[in-house]
Amino acid sequence: MSFDIGFMLRSVPILAEGLTTTLALALPAILLAAAWGVPIVVALMSKRRLLRAMAQAYVEVVRNTPVLVQMFFIFFGSGVLGFPLSGFVAGLIALVLQNGAYAAEIYRAGIQAVSHRQAEAGLALGLMPFAAFRIVVLPQALRKVIPPLSNQGVLIIKDTSLVATISVAELTFQARLLADRTAAVFEIFFALALFYIALTMFFSLVMRLAEVRLRIRQ
Amino acid sequence: MDALLPSLPLLTKGVVTTLYLSVASTALATSLGIIFATIQLFAWRPLKWIVESYLYIVRGVPLLVLLFAMYYALPYAGVQVEPVVGGIVVIGAYFGAFMTEVFRGAVLAVPKGQWEAGRAIGMRTPRILLDVVLVQALRVAGAPYINTTIMVVKGTSLVAVIGLADVTFVGRQIVERTLAPFEVFGAVAFVYFVICYALSRLGRHVEKKASYVH
Repeated sequence: MSFDIGFMLRSVPILAEGLTTTLALALPAILLAAAWGVPIVVALMSKRRLLRAMAQAYVEVVRNTPVLVQMFFIFFGSGVLGFPLSGFVAGLIALVLQNGAYAAEIYRAGIQAVSHRQAEAGLALGLMPFAAFRIVVLPQALRKVIPPLSNQGVLIIKDTSLVATISVAELTFQARLLADRTAAVFEIFFALALFYIALTMFFSLVMRLAEVRLRIRQ
Repeated sequence: MDALLPSLPLLTKGVVTTLYLSVASTALATSLGIIFATIQLFAWRPLKWIVESYLYIVRGVPLLVLLFAMYYALPYAGVQVEPVVGGIVVIGAYFGAFMTEVFRGAVLAVPKGQWEAGRAIGMRTPRILLDVVLVQALRVAGAPYINTTIMVVKGTSLVAVIGLADVTFVGRQIVERTLAPFEVFGAVAFVYFVICYALSRLGRHVEKKASYVH
């Protein structure tokens, strides 16, 4: 067992090719999941029982099944239906469907964490219900959801590695190719791990900055 | 359904492997979580740093990458292990980090005043920990513990890519033969759903039981 740092450095450009694909997948996945969570949370908190039940059922199904199985379902299923999706698109859909449900739960917890007296105070001042929500509750809820959303984003970045199994040439896929070809497995997987740590660290840092920036000074 | 029936024995075998992996990995993750949480809370600095860096790596690196690393690297390191054992070790170690956070957070959630109250009536530290703090911490830990267990069950699906015949792997094999991905992966998803949904109901029950009326 030996470790060749020179080789590790030479593997970086090849891994970097995969990095572009990882980023191209992770970024839309995070943004779309955050967006998809909005209609879901509206349905979850709706007064209409049928709508609420449908949203709850959706959340339970996608949260209680592995995202890998969802990817296979969409990837292989679309092929049989006659409009084969690329691994990239199938992976993106699965990531958004699953993490949108998690985002919705995060939003709901954030909204419920704002004391209902806040909304009542708004109503007492003569705000319409939606205005009370938008002006009083939402800004406070948004601040509360940033840390859990950041955690979810990190999980999404890590889960983009799963599309390597439906042959999308992202970071992990490239690393495997290299490992198969060169047998320098320690160097390659060490470099790969560093790539992911750097990515997730950078993302957490940005979210942390947003959190600090939005904090209410007292 | 026609695609599914002849494959039922194979699928059942996969389910057994998934259950086995889930139980063993959860047990390992729980043990590691307890040990590392104890170190983080009570041990001396250098030990804490070691645990801290382990948590850091796990938080930043995908489970799939760790599984691949184990799968590719161990033979080169001259270590011979059964793939099942390797899978359990990696999944257990990965979710052990999540469990560490669960237990650590639960102990920290117990107000400091509880420690002080114990000390005020002359209890020794281990006593306070066992009789005052842990009983309260375990209530807090219940729901997040079960959530992490659900993550473990879902996480075991990744062993399919290193060739372990769990229910996801078997599903892929059956799809290659039958070309019926909706039925087969639907059935596979249903297996996970039954396990995880039951767990999440249990989690909600525990959460309700554990919440105090102030």
